[in-house]
Amino acid sequence: MKRVVEVTINGERQELTLEPYRSLLDVLRNEVGLTGTKKGCDVGDCGACTVLLDGKPVNSCLVLGVEVGGCEVVTIEGLQPDPERLHPLQESFMQHGGAQCGFCTPGFIMMAKALLDENPDPTEDEIRFGIAGNICRCTGYTKIVTAIQAAAKELREAQS
Amino acid sequence: MSVVASAIVGNTIVGTSVKRTDLIGKVTGTAQYAGDVKLAGMLHGRIKRCTVAHANIKRIDVSRALEFPGVKAVLTHENVPRVLHYGSPHPRSASVTCDQYILDRKVRYWGEGVAAVAAVSEEIAEEALDLIDVEYEPLPAVFTVEAAQAPGAPVIHETGYAGNLLFKPVVFARGDVDKGFASSDLIIEGDYETGRPTPAYMEPNVCVCQWDNTGKLTVWVSTQTAFMVRGILAEVLGLPLHKVRVLVDHMGGGFGAKQDLFQHEFLCALLAKETRHPVRMEFTRGETFVGGRSRHPCKIWLKQGFRQDGTVVARQARMTYNSGAYGSHGPGVTIVGTSALTSLYRCENVHLEGRCVYTNTPIAGAYRGYGVVQTYYALDIQMDEAAERLGMDPVQLKLKNAVREGDIAPSGHPILGHGLADCIRRGAQETGWEQLRRRPRETSGTFRRGWGMGCEMHGSSAYPGIKEQGNASVKMNEDGTAVLLTGAAGLGTGAHTALAQIVAEELGLRFDDIAVVHGDTDIVPWDIGAFASHTTFMVGRAAQMAASEVKKQLLARAGEQLEVAPEDLEIRDGVIAVRGVAGKRLTVRESMGPKPGIPAANLLGNGTYTPTKAYSFAAHFVEVQVDAGTGQIDVLQVIPVHEIGKVVHPVAAAGQIEGGIQQGIGHTLTEDYVIDLTNGRSLNAGFVDYKMPLSMDMPPIRTIILETAPDPGGPYGAKGLGEDPIIAIGPAIANAVYAAIGVRFRHFPITPEQVLAALQDQPDENA
Repeated sequence: MKRVVEVTINGERQELTLEPYRSLLDVLRNEVGLTGTKKGCDVGDCGACTVLLDGKPVNSCLVLGVEVGGCEVVTIEGLQPDPERLHPLQESFMQHGGAQCGFCTPGFIMMAKALLDENPDPTEDEIRFGIAGNICRCTGYTKIVTAIQAAAKELREAQS
Repeated sequence: MSVVASAIVGNTIVGTSVKRTDLIGKVTGTAQYAGDVKLAGMLHGRIKRCTVAHANIKRIDVSRALEFPGVKAVLTHENVPRVLHYGSPHPRSASVTCDQYILDRKVRYWGEGVAAVAAVSEEIAEEALDLIDVEYEPLPAVFTVEAAQAPGAPVIHETGYAGNLLFKPVVFARGDVDKGFASSDLIIEGDYETGRPTPAYMEPNVCVCQWDNTGKLTVWVSTQTAFMVRGILAEVLGLPLHKVRVLVDHMGGGFGAKQDLFQHEFLCALLAKETRHPVRMEFTRGETFVGGRSRHPCKIWLKQGFRQDGTVVARQARMTYNSGAYGSHGPGVTIVGTSALTSLYRCENVHLEGRCVYTNTPIAGAYRGYGVVQTYYALDIQMDEAAERLGMDPVQLKLKNAVREGDIAPSGHPILGHGLADCIRRGAQETGWEQLRRRPRETSGTFRRGWGMGCEMHGSSAYPGIKEQGNASVKMNEDGTAVLLTGAAGLGTGAHTALAQIVAEELGLRFDDIAVVHGDTDIVPWDIGAFASHTTFMVGRAAQMAASEVKKQLLARAGEQLEVAPEDLEIRDGVIAVRGVAGKRLTVRESMGPKPGIPAANLLGNGTYTPTKAYSFAAHFVEVQVDAGTGQIDVLQVIPVHEIGKVVHPVAAAGQIEGGIQQGIGHTLTEDYVIDLTNGRSLNAGFVDYKMPLSMDMPPIRTIILETAPDPGGPYGAKGLGEDPIIAIGPAIANAVYAAIGVRFRHFPITPEQVLAALQDQPDENA
């Protein structure tokens, strides 16, 4: 039996009528039309579906759509501060080669966003620990770490 | 950090890390992958997979599935076309085998598809799979190459060469190995075995199919070879090519494996036809293992003879590649991997035999490094062993024998330049190798460190196995910008950016003035697919030729406008000027554009390039730490040195190298897709049990790229890079482990249990 859920997605309040068994990932992709969040495994192993749920990173494949009533969800599509500007993480992933095939990229960027929100000046080890739940098969992670470091620096400088 | 050491000057766009055009969509979530396509009325398809390794299907009953609410169609071998086809449809090349049906009356590995369902939701389709009853008549099954070649072994395919051999064993020979061994001061032989890693691309296989009312099929699919998919779909479904359109915009990795068709492309098209609805089929992660393609597990016997001064005088080897249940790229992998041993380290007397064998295990296919990962692992470990027994440093031994200018490469071509020696020397210099190797081995304590190095060379095309062709078209717009049309796939390497850089460089335009159109078989020129490290090399050259053709037309026009000979003109930053003459100039825009009453110019250039082969080289230097208490091997740092002719995009090139090293570390230490040898069942088809290196497992990598041996066939001298970085890292790690603990491993993956067992077996040197 479908249930009605009210949720804020990327700042927009939405009323969704959902099957109770459907994951947040499938809801975002198939019912809300936000396909930036990717399905790499659907069982919580790869992190490609990472989104922010009330500011915390979650594997959206492990959360049911009906669980997010009253919550705030931010996906990769909601990261840009305005349509003309990219978030420093987005710029940085492009500039430093933090993305190749790009399939894991939205998950990495959302995880990095959560990491930097909590710890604006992480060490390399803290970054590597922070993204340890996200799998990338293209980059060897080196350039992802560099991209996050560079974005962290830019965000700190913008704050000060 | 990465360094490009270039001797080539003068390019302004080629050689610069311009902003990759594919990334804006990837970092904002707007890039469209095949799985993101959503069409009105779209149904969802799923594949039922068998749970036996080898059997005839006695009976298959779909009636309960068809009655299940929401199910729209069910396909089995009884109602799909029965057309024997290639698993990977390169144009009839000897690299691939013709041994597959969409669905057969027989299954040959645990997990092979036996039926497909289309339903209104994925959940219903999945549930309906359980309602399909299949009765199997089990056949004896073989899971190893030994069992498959034993007398009386069940024959898996009637179409093979003999027994379970895919094709006649291939032999590469020159000189006289017996004489060579007779003149050797040292002979070493060994048995080597490599595991079953899988590409594990992040985007599971997916396709969406839709028919229109003219009988035309449109397919959105994650593939490296859109035109090959079009060709084989047309052939098997009985359609002319203009009735099949294949679309690939972005794809989430492929690493070689996504050259094949995986049953679902056909099934998706047929389900869409039967239901008159678009159908989407996406593999689960587990299916990307079970129904995907792995590297070929390989057993290698290698014997080499050396003179006291280190010269290799004889090399003999026998390789047996395990193809799994279907041929896919088995012949190509076997031929490329076997012939690779004719080179890297020079040797006049060579005898190599490669064979490829069917077994009742999941299918091995094309995967980055294509047969060479296996054979160079054996070769480079044996060279390390020989160095020790000859009392030489491995760097000196490898330098002494390194392939050099004029040597005949595995492809039959003379090698250009001294790329391999350059890589070895530079790496030795960067690491302070001589000092490092003088450190005595630690024989006590928990953590023991050691350095090792490995080498490789790899060709930038599939020639001579496949006669390839790169095509490109460049057309000018009336405002002086240009459009490149290419069939090359964007696996994630940044290929389209590199191609646009080449066009901009050639035309004298700014990078931002070039648009790239790709991924639509109805629009772009025919393309063989993105594989064999050839896109920048081959399609890049075709794009350069097309741009050069347009430039010729443009300069002819500008020559008339400026009243000078076209050969006196040059274009820079979009401005056409007379060489050496100030003032006489006009912009490309002015030259192209319309004048009152006169339309703009219509300039179009085509380029077709049929490459032979160029070789790229690498030497990887690695430090490992072995935990003698747990057997754990950690890679502490990697210094890869690559020679690739000309770097087009330094950041993207370094990214290829770092990613290849990540996969290679995985292969060598943790990754192995395990099959139960009693029943053929997959044991670790998922990311928890199939263990790839994560961010915390990866060491610092200091990449060095050399441009010392540019190839005249490549654009601006550029050669391939995609496959190289996965090859040398493996033996470098194994050799470093030997340096650390004195244990010689001749297989991968090297697991902690094996390390511990080997340490326990070691004689106590302190006793």
